[in-house]
Amino acid sequence: MLASITIITLDARGGFHRITSGARSVASDAFAPVKSGVDDIIEPIGSFLAGSVHYGAVRQQNQKLQAEIDQLKQEQRSQADIDQAQRQLNALLNLTFLPNLQQVPAEVTDYGTSNFAATIDISVGRSDGVQLGMPVVGGGGLVGQVVQANHSTSTVRLVTDGQSSVGVRFGPAPGTLAVLAGQGSGKPLSADFVESNTPLTDGEEFVTSGLQGAVFPAGIPVAKVVSSKNKANSSQESVTLQPLADLAHLRYVSVVLYGPSS
Amino acid sequence: MTVRDLGRITLVMVLFVTVQQTLMLDLRIGGVHPDIMVLLPIVAGIVGGPARGASMGFGAGLVADLFLPTPFGLSALVGCLLGFGVGLATLALDRTASWLPPVAALVGSALYEVVYAVLGSVLGQPQMLHVNMVRVVVLVSVVNAVLALPALRIVSWTLREVSTEGVPTSPLSSGTLR
Repeated sequence: MLASITIITLDARGGFHRITSGARSVASDAFAPVKSGVDDIIEPIGSFLAGSVHYGAVRQQNQKLQAEIDQLKQEQRSQADIDQAQRQLNALLNLTFLPNLQQVPAEVTDYGTSNFAATIDISVGRSDGVQLGMPVVGGGGLVGQVVQANHSTSTVRLVTDGQSSVGVRFGPAPGTLAVLAGQGSGKPLSADFVESNTPLTDGEEFVTSGLQGAVFPAGIPVAKVVSSKNKANSSQESVTLQPLADLAHLRYVSVVLYGPSS
Repeated sequence: MTVRDLGRITLVMVLFVTVQQTLMLDLRIGGVHPDIMVLLPIVAGIVGGPARGASMGFGAGLVADLFLPTPFGLSALVGCLLGFGVGLATLALDRTASWLPPVAALVGSALYEVVYAVLGSVLGQPQMLHVNMVRVVVLVSVVNAVLALPALRIVSWTLREVSTEGVPTSPLSSGTLR
């Protein structure tokens, strides 16, 4: 127990964090080929089992006809899957909000290793120029920030994670400043520092502020307003926002090669 | 503890972490996935008593922490407490009973997830309390209860030559249970 508490304390104090971060990076790099290999083996087995279950459920009906329907459905699903991937790739190719910044496209390989954090794993790492803290965007807007950069993979903290906060700007130029905070995976974002009686319309977009030294470059769309209301005896307006990027169905993203000093 | 014992424990940890990082991460229900690393301290506590449970919890927790974005050492701390607690709680029970591992896994996993989130929140990660805790607890507990008996067999293989220093040893660990 004492050893655990010591490790947690040292990690939290900062100096030791480099060591733990390095250990995590080494573990992820060492494990990546194993994971990839096992996934390659498991995927066909999973597909086979899923197909068997599906087959069992429809056995009582006309088998031949149902098999044809299944095949058609499968084709339709595959097509929808391809369409979705195509849409996301096209959207990445046509990002209008980052014209002058270099980006590295990446595939989403996993939807987080912890039930207590909203993260994704992506297929690019330090060898591709990715560094800690870099912004990650999807077709719709900001996805999150790199929190662990390994040799060939990275972990991205999504904007919905409770640890995430993004400096934003909204309204007519020069815009009003606010901070968007995550509230957990699948939950909407909340806005801090929005004064009471600030006029907001549903669907209004918040973009990154890009103030000097900001973690994110200016102008990346982050979220749109879902609801806003004034609370009694509060100097702040309660604003709920929906992320613009479809975080539940991410297939491809781009890491923006940007640091606060860029 | 001999080099052979350490080798066995290492092998089991690699097996568990491989299954966790591949199969289990793909088994998502409502965005939540099972966590079989929690099983290690639970079954080690049953097989080897509080001290072995705590040691296994610490080791398995450290390995799990290598792949988690949450504070480093948190899984080790909670795993250590869990292994010790399960070992202590089952001392007075008939540890050969077939109902014990699933029930211990069900209750132990639920407690682990709750304590993990609370301690994480205390350590500056308040978002850990804002997840769908009921879903996490139910999924992790049920999957671990189902996998408890095979996990017990595997862990008893690693601990079969380990002295439990006066702690009544489960017949599983000495290979007398058929």
